[in-house]
Amino acid sequence: MTRTERPSTITEAAQLLGDSRGSVVFRGGGTKMGWGGRPPDPALVLETGGLTKLLTHNPADMTASAEAGMPLRALQDQLAGAGQWLALDPPTESAGATVGGLLATGDSGPRRLRYGALRDLVIGVTIVLADGTVARAGGHVIKNVAGYDLSKLMYGSMGILALVGEVVLRVHPRPEASATVVVPASVSTAAASTLQLLASPLEPSAVDWVGGRLAVRFEGRKAGVAAQTAAARELLSESAPAEELDESAESALWQEFTAAHGAEHGESVAFAGTLPSRLTAVAEALARAADAAGVEARLASHTALGQHTAHFAGPPEGQAQAFDRWRHVVLALGGTVLLRDRPEEVDKAVDALGPPPSAVGLLRSVKNRLDPDGRIAPGRLGSWI
Amino acid sequence: MTTYLELVAEKATGKVTDAVKREIGALLGEGGVISEPAQLRTYECDALTGYRVMPALVVLPETTEEVAAVVRVCARERIPFVARGAGTGLSGGALPVADGIVIGLARMRQILSIDVQNQRAVVQPGVTNTGISAAVAKHDLYFAPDPSSQVVCTIGGNVAENSGGAHCLKYGFTTNHVLGLTFVCADGSIVTLGGDSLDTVGPDLRAVVVGSEGTLGIVTEVTVRLLRRPEAVRTLVADFPSAEHAGNTVSDIIAAGIIPAAVEMLDELAIEACEKATQAGYSLDTAAALVVELDGVAVEVEAEFPRVREICDKNGTTKIRIANDPAERALIWKGRKAAFAAMGRMSPDYFVQDGVIPRTKLGATLAQIGDMARQAGLRVANVFHAGDGNLHPLVLYDGAVPGQAEDAERLATAIVELCVEHGGSITGEHGVGSDKACSMLKMFSEADLTVMARVRAAFDPEGVCNPGKVLPTPRLCGERPGPWRPHPLEETGVIERF
Repeated sequence: MTRTERPSTITEAAQLLGDSRGSVVFRGGGTKMGWGGRPPDPALVLETGGLTKLLTHNPADMTASAEAGMPLRALQDQLAGAGQWLALDPPTESAGATVGGLLATGDSGPRRLRYGALRDLVIGVTIVLADGTVARAGGHVIKNVAGYDLSKLMYGSMGILALVGEVVLRVHPRPEASATVVVPASVSTAAASTLQLLASPLEPSAVDWVGGRLAVRFEGRKAGVAAQTAAARELLSESAPAEELDESAESALWQEFTAAHGAEHGESVAFAGTLPSRLTAVAEALARAADAAGVEARLASHTALGQHTAHFAGPPEGQAQAFDRWRHVVLALGGTVLLRDRPEEVDKAVDALGPPPSAVGLLRSVKNRLDPDGRIAPGRLGSWI
Repeated sequence: MTTYLELVAEKATGKVTDAVKREIGALLGEGGVISEPAQLRTYECDALTGYRVMPALVVLPETTEEVAAVVRVCARERIPFVARGAGTGLSGGALPVADGIVIGLARMRQILSIDVQNQRAVVQPGVTNTGISAAVAKHDLYFAPDPSSQVVCTIGGNVAENSGGAHCLKYGFTTNHVLGLTFVCADGSIVTLGGDSLDTVGPDLRAVVVGSEGTLGIVTEVTVRLLRRPEAVRTLVADFPSAEHAGNTVSDIIAAGIIPAAVEMLDELAIEACEKATQAGYSLDTAAALVVELDGVAVEVEAEFPRVREICDKNGTTKIRIANDPAERALIWKGRKAAFAAMGRMSPDYFVQDGVIPRTKLGATLAQIGDMARQAGLRVANVFHAGDGNLHPLVLYDGAVPGQAEDAERLATAIVELCVEHGGSITGEHGVGSDKACSMLKMFSEADLTVMARVRAAFDPEGVCNPGKVLPTPRLCGERPGPWRPHPLEETGVIERF
């Protein structure tokens, strides 16, 4: 039987953990529970839905802190009053993703290109270990090298080390202007254009390829955005005419492009990271893997970041087979792959984590020191831990 | 519950015997081992010269495999070891352990590969910070972190310290520019952390190693992210009648939504020192000066630069000097970056302090530092990264005057503790090292330190890897007066502290 608890303070969360036995899974907005390995039903689900407060916001210092269960949307609303935002645009924001869950999963969106990921934006953290220990690392200043950076240790930890209780964040001024240029592009054209953009003095905040279109976004001062947009149009129009979007078309396009990295019912979703120059190889491997397994596959890519989301549609065994083949190629290219949401049957045919990295011994050691009884999310990193 | 006192092992006590020396000599060859006392002396301290310890042996490996082989011997014999780059660290992070081994990485200075289109390079740890930028300059690329010692200091040391520099507010720290590491663990095994992908799957171990001050293992290869050189750079120096005027200017620039590439502040004493050393053209008759640099797309920089000038004017600047060309900009930076070394012209001795405050507390903190200096009867020069609140007060003293060194050290410590009281940090870029391990107790609770100690023990269960640094140890800190002392009953194991 699984018990669900929703503490309203960190102290209460620490008591719940310290006083209980058996396995425990942490849950924020619940938008990414299907990522990675799947823990069996735990004894305790600890939800952060009672920890939703904004704790501090110092606009002049460009910092804010919040309890982990605060939805990103709510945080953005609060920061907007001062003309600021947390410079993060993950696909799960609209579904209610929380700041703690986003840190624990390392989720980010197109504008990571300019602002970095939560890894780069988190400056402090309060965590709760399985034994109820509450610990803080980092602080409220952007520049700080005192002690180990446990905030970043939480980044992408998939909730296997500790509960993220509070986060301290660096925030940014909202850009004065934004504009987007879009051009029809095959994958090889998109790859070539991306490398050209990277080599140019232009400073795009996003470069994304979805559904045969390459979109490039610029943010900043009006004059700078206008000049860069014009330069990008020229650069991109070498193969096909590039178009600058009006405001409503721009907002619709980024909603569509961001959502293209999200979950689809009945499909498997896998996320890969490679060198930007590997885009064509990644896309071709995907097409071959899907053909061989007799399923449909499509790719969405943050091309300048070298981050790609593949969707697999069709019979689950075929999805698993295609994913496995594709992962094999991406790993051989030097990349990383994580299987995210997928139909349950897919798990019977494929290991969600794949072969362990060379540092798996260190991962196990860190896990053992912080959670010696192995209570937290057993199986989340599959065979690795 | 186990406390950090039990987790932070006192240093491992293995000895460098003649047999160990022979074994390591056979691994590295004659030229790779230093054991003559006169030569060992070169390694007895880093740039925090007040602390000196003679190591038993210094080794100078040239490959990852050689580093791993030496570490395996240390692990087997439980001999403590300390990694060392150029020895420019200001917190005693590379201070040797008595009877231990120093693993100097200065001979590992190859740039292994440059990937222009993906904007990254793989380098050995002994490559200098500016060496990276110089090697990729012809591709219009550069490595962003720029500590003041960048001409000498090595990337391995930058990784250990998570070095910053003048341009962090906009571009971040070393941790934001390191994509992958080849890492020799405390047991001598070799692993890869990070890599081609921006993120790995699972907890970000690379980010824990960056800034861990050599206490978790030894980095032997670094994959760094390179940035495209900005299209335009504009730099100005603005004089102000007081530090407060200059501080308000910084706040107003930020409030206008401008994120400068750098904002540096120097006070009168710091300017005098810099000018004596470099003749960079700073005004000698001003109470404070700001260096403001904008960079990026030309149109954007040209739009924001006049706004910065207006904001300076509004805050009562008495003189604005604009760098007319790259040479003049380089001179301005040369002057600023010479500040620490130049202090030698102002005073026989000085302590360099490194603390961080929320930027909005700048005015109040500077006033308090001034009061504290007057009370102590000592001079304090201020030079700092104003954009991110990273202060570098320089406490001047004369070691020949009895008691003055102790007074200066007390003042330096009081200043950094003031930073913590203002919600800041005991170090923004110089690291904790040997110098500030005890000050960690000012900033973190015992539970915080216990969890950090648990992470450390996960990497180095035997305590061989740079012991005595970063985390306070009872031997070092328990004996001193301070906010925390173990209760006598605790020391005898009768009670435990949570």
